[in-house]
Amino acid sequence: MKRRSFTQSLLALPAAPALLGQEIPKIDFSVPDAGAEPVPHFFTAPQLAAVRRLSDLILPSINGTPGALEARAPEFLDFLLGQSPADRKALYRNGLDALNATARRQYAKGFADLDATQADALLAPLHKNWTWDAPTDPLAAFLREAKADVLAATVNSREWISVVSQRSRGASGTSIYWHPIE
Amino acid sequence: MATTPYDVLIIGSGASGGMTAHTLTKLGIKCLMLDAGPAFDYEKDRSLRAVYDLPYRGFGKPGRFPHITQASEFTAAIWADEKQNPYSYDPKDPYYWVRIRRIGGKTLVWGRASWRLSDLEFKAKDHDGFGDNWPIRYADLAPYYDRCEPLLRVSGRKEGLPQIPDGVFLEDNSPVGPAVARFIAEANKRGIPTTKQRRAQGTLASSMNLLLPDAMATGNLTIVPNAVVREITVDKKTGLVNGVNFVDRRSKRELHAKARVLVVGASTLESTRLLLNSGIANSSGMLGRYLFDQFYVKNTVQAITPETGGGTSYIPRFTNLKSKEKNYLRGYAVDFGGGGTPDPKYFPLYGEPLQKELNEHRGRGFNATTMGSVLPRYENYVRIDKTVVDAWAIPSLHIQARYTDNEFNMAKDAMNTLAELCDASGFQLLEKHDKMVPPGESIHELGTCRMGDNPKTSVLNQWNQAHDVKNLFVVDGSSFVNGGSQNPTLTITALAMRASEYMAEQMRKGDL
Ligand SMILES: Cc1cc2nc3c(=O)[nH]c(=O)nc-3n(C[C@H](O)[C@H](O)[C@H](O)COP(=O)(O)OP(=O)(O)OC[C@H]3O[C@@H](n4cnc5c(N)ncnc54)[C@H](O)[C@@H]3O)c2cc1C
Repeated sequence: MKRRSFTQSLLALPAAPALLGQEIPKIDFSVPDAGAEPVPHFFTAPQLAAVRRLSDLILPSINGTPGALEARAPEFLDFLLGQSPADRKALYRNGLDALNATARRQYAKGFADLDATQADALLAPLHKNWTWDAPTDPLAAFLREAKADVLAATVNSREWISVVSQRSRGASGTSIYWHPIE
Repeated sequence: MATTPYDVLIIGSGASGGMTAHTLTKLGIKCLMLDAGPAFDYEKDRSLRAVYDLPYRGFGKPGRFPHITQASEFTAAIWADEKQNPYSYDPKDPYYWVRIRRIGGKTLVWGRASWRLSDLEFKAKDHDGFGDNWPIRYADLAPYYDRCEPLLRVSGRKEGLPQIPDGVFLEDNSPVGPAVARFIAEANKRGIPTTKQRRAQGTLASSMNLLLPDAMATGNLTIVPNAVVREITVDKKTGLVNGVNFVDRRSKRELHAKARVLVVGASTLESTRLLLNSGIANSSGMLGRYLFDQFYVKNTVQAITPETGGGTSYIPRFTNLKSKEKNYLRGYAVDFGGGGTPDPKYFPLYGEPLQKELNEHRGRGFNATTMGSVLPRYENYVRIDKTVVDAWAIPSLHIQARYTDNEFNMAKDAMNTLAELCDASGFQLLEKHDKMVPPGESIHELGTCRMGDNPKTSVLNQWNQAHDVKNLFVVDGSSFVNGGSQNPTLTITALAMRASEYMAEQMRKGDL
């Protein structure tokens, strides 16, 4: 906007006192995902395929409750990882690459194309008990993080909450938010 | 605007500054309170939000709070920004310095657990020979605890246990479910005492609602938010402090405020930083030394109980009470409770089997967290690191803290004891561990400006008054000589109240 028209539009506003006491109608706004698809930026195509498959295995849709794919957890993780510190980026990239490489070596296809039994063999670290210290094996460390992230990204999604909150009052996903102060 | 002469200038509006203002203003003393954080409206500046409407779905902005594990995307705005407020440590010894800069300080979100110390702490050296005694005994502080507990609305149950003296409580008779009751019975059978948690009541139990409004009502308190104190100024002729230089947080305008007496309650490490940056009160060379806290082993045990039904309880320190009976000195306390569902990470499953397992165990979780006493050691310290400055060009701290075998042995003992109790109670143990969170993360940092009778080995006297500068008082956790396993804030408020009444009396007599 040119400076002149900006000044004009300011002048066009009603004087401040006129606004006071006036009833302003409330408008319900929406969120970007309601009318658009996320565009992945962080994962490569094979990584994204693997993270989608992994997410679906970790939390599939069960009895009408949306799973990770319906909640767009993989796309959300693509966004989150894109902004994350370098070590977390590397953990994910290397972990997904390792899943794909092992799948190719053992079954001559990408992780996304494995059947459930084949995939389960690669996800063996998820069948080990959780310990306070993170596993030293990079794939096991990645899978442990991915399990937690996929679950959280799903149960914190609008899709999941809108279904589950119908069944349980405690699952509204709301909490007190502290507003930033200048 | 003409400046009003103030009797007392208080730095910090949290537990310690709040209690100081509450006490002094009621005694008719005019106080000016400066706080680095903004004022805010508790109703309007908070609102109910859905997690999916937050930009990061509840994960928070990645990397924003590398040292504040307590921060969530909902509360991100209240924690001191780590980029604006940096500090340093040796990468081998990470320290998690958790701060809040807002009116009310950390009391805006504290867990409200409120325990008295006993002579096992005040006279610890007499008991086990390690370190130093406080210059006061329990009886000196008891009358102030008696008055602080009702102010903070502390609930609890009187048990007659000498290691956690009884107080003036709102009686807590809340029941516990059968599983927790069995755990309590197993503990008691082995001579391990248990009691209800002692906790300040109300969703908000902060200086902002419990202390500052009363102080304001006297007409004797002026609060200035957004005032980041840079240094304390000294009258060269008398050697007494005469005010502070501060910078307006938003505009970075520099100002000076004067007063007859100065009280520092900026929180343990901030207060010491301020004194070090001002080059005062350190003829002993002890300023910054003897940093300690409580070590935490979060979720030392995580188990599944056979039946649902929750309830929470507490094990106070029970080791080394009479004589040395363990491979460590002092002891630990435990917060434990049942109910809820264990975190999915504890189940070595994924997919539908994981969800089935979680459904089966809903309401049957049990966990216990260990809080252990840390020996105050000269080698654990803070100093000014001139290469690290905050957003207002104020030099920050280098922090050096490391736990030792005393703490490691204690943590191991806690883990084994709790695992044994779970087993005896018929619980299925999912995980046990003895790994402490890094020093600082318990948010119970103490020491570095400690009290003592000897000006050569301590910074403050028994009235929280600097040995070197008689009109300077430091009233927060930095004054602790040792701290036991009890959460420290109730003691901080009792000390602040005691110091304030002494201060008022000295002012009345014309000695200050
Ligand atoms: C999540 C959480 C849970 C906790 N749970 C418990 C518990 O259950 N029991 C317990 O006993 N304790 C608990 N604590 C610790 C408790 O909050 C602190 O011990 C207590 O608030 C310390 O009081 P204080 O006055 O020393 O510091 P604070 O309450 O932190 O107040 C210090 C104030 O000083 C101001 N300030 C700092 N530097 C400057 C400066 N340079 N200039 C001007 N102002 C400055 C800050 O803005 C702040 O408002 C918890 C803390 C947290 C964060």
